[in-house]
Amino acid sequence: MIKLEQAYKSYPRNIEVLRDINLSIDAGEFVSLVGQSGSGKTTLVKILIGEEKIESGKVIIGDWDITNISRREVPYLRRQIGVIFQDFKLLPQKTLRENVAFALEVCGQKQAKINRIVTTVLRIVGLEDKAEHYPNEVSGGEQQRAAIARALVHQPKILLADEPTGNLDSINANEIIDLLLRINNFGTTVILVTHNREIVNGLKKRVIAIEAGRVISDQEKGKYLL
Amino acid sequence: MKFSVQDITRNIWLTIVTVTILILALFSVNMLMVVRVISQNAIDAVKQKIDISLYLKTDASDAAIANLRTQITGMDLVKQVSFVSKNDALTSFREKNRNNADVLNALRELGQNPLSPSLVILPKNADDAPQLIAQLQNIDSDIIDSRDFTDNTLLLTKINGITGKINEVGLFLIFIFIFTSMLVAYNSIKVAIYTHRREIEIMRLVGAPNSFIFMPFLMSAVIYALFSILVITTVFFPFLSLLQPYMDVFFTGYNVNIMDYFTSNWLLIFGSQFLAVAFISVMSSWLAIRRYARV
Repeated sequence: MIKLEQAYKSYPRNIEVLRDINLSIDAGEFVSLVGQSGSGKTTLVKILIGEEKIESGKVIIGDWDITNISRREVPYLRRQIGVIFQDFKLLPQKTLRENVAFALEVCGQKQAKINRIVTTVLRIVGLEDKAEHYPNEVSGGEQQRAAIARALVHQPKILLADEPTGNLDSINANEIIDLLLRINNFGTTVILVTHNREIVNGLKKRVIAIEAGRVISDQEKGKYLL
Repeated sequence: MKFSVQDITRNIWLTIVTVTILILALFSVNMLMVVRVISQNAIDAVKQKIDISLYLKTDASDAAIANLRTQITGMDLVKQVSFVSKNDALTSFREKNRNNADVLNALRELGQNPLSPSLVILPKNADDAPQLIAQLQNIDSDIIDSRDFTDNTLLLTKINGITGKINEVGLFLIFIFIFTSMLVAYNSIKVAIYTHRREIEIMRLVGAPNSFIFMPFLMSAVIYALFSILVITTVFFPFLSLLQPYMDVFFTGYNVNIMDYFTSNWLLIFGSQFLAVAFISVMSSWLAIRRYARV
């Protein structure tokens, strides 16, 4: 599903961010990507969604080699990959329903289809009753669930979660992880980027550890050992 | 379109500044056109007045004068030849110098008419004046006393020189205004992008096509252009109607009608200005979008 071959990325003034990354993630896997701040996790996420490009190596998603993806193709890539972030990225002036619908409106979908899909994904994440609330009227966990619902509207094959529990208490954090596991059970590949040790160790799923831009361990049913 | 209108109303003062700069640029362009129309009319008026004078000896006979007149009238480049007698010349001279007491006193002191009769020759085309002058130089006649060819062509050269300088200054000012307009449009769109940065970020995140992201900003640029043209059209015609009476007084006897010129060519003038301003605004916006919205 996702393959990185000898991926190398640096920023100006020779700041190396990723060095010789070799990764392969199969369809339907649940993978935790762990590492300290500055290890390169977020850069890896940006590369997978076409926000950044590597300087050498290859990045393949499905059958698509996105190593040299053009600006015009990036929107199509992003419809295949759902992304959620630590800060939710919801529009404060729209309700949760409108926030989720926005993802389909900007892609030119018809209103009837939008209504149907939005209702479905809100039900999946358990927000049917809070759909008409604004983000500031719901909890952090509910906001994150709305962000997940938005990420699911295009039925992506991959869901990237970059520190989704960073702003949540432990109860809400567990709810979000449970939701991600449920989504993974439907067949969606989930990549969880986190430095929350308890969550990773509790998952007993594959753990890829990154340090100083290199993969230092890759274990099925791994633990966060850094 | 909704996004565009929302952006314009959210940043209303910025919109006002941008449109004002565009209006000033258009005003300078249109004023330059007014200057060019006036100067062209002035040049045409002077060209009609270009004549060549042949001064005749005071004792020239009527028959000799008539012969010479007929000879010159028959030349291809000559439109008309008029005879100015000594008395007519004196009357004209007194009229021209009616406010110059010294000249009139000197004339009275002389006690006699010192002026010569002359033949005033109008060329068919003022631009052929030099060629005609060359032909007149070659006329061999005993009754020609002197030939004055320089005054009016000199005036025409001076007018051409002045209007040329005015055009250069005007073009320089227009260039400054166009450059300023581009900068203002660029910065306006940059601010609009900043105002909408959260929406843009999410649109890019969820896979909105690039056109969905940049089209509203380009629409804003076109709306700026349209609005500025509407304002300039509304303001400029009343301005011209205020200016026209002064034109009529200044150019008494000549038909210099700026109002007519702009009225009969308004679609071409303002249509092409709209296209130019829209193009400049859209190009500036495109550059800002490429740089700041990363689409």
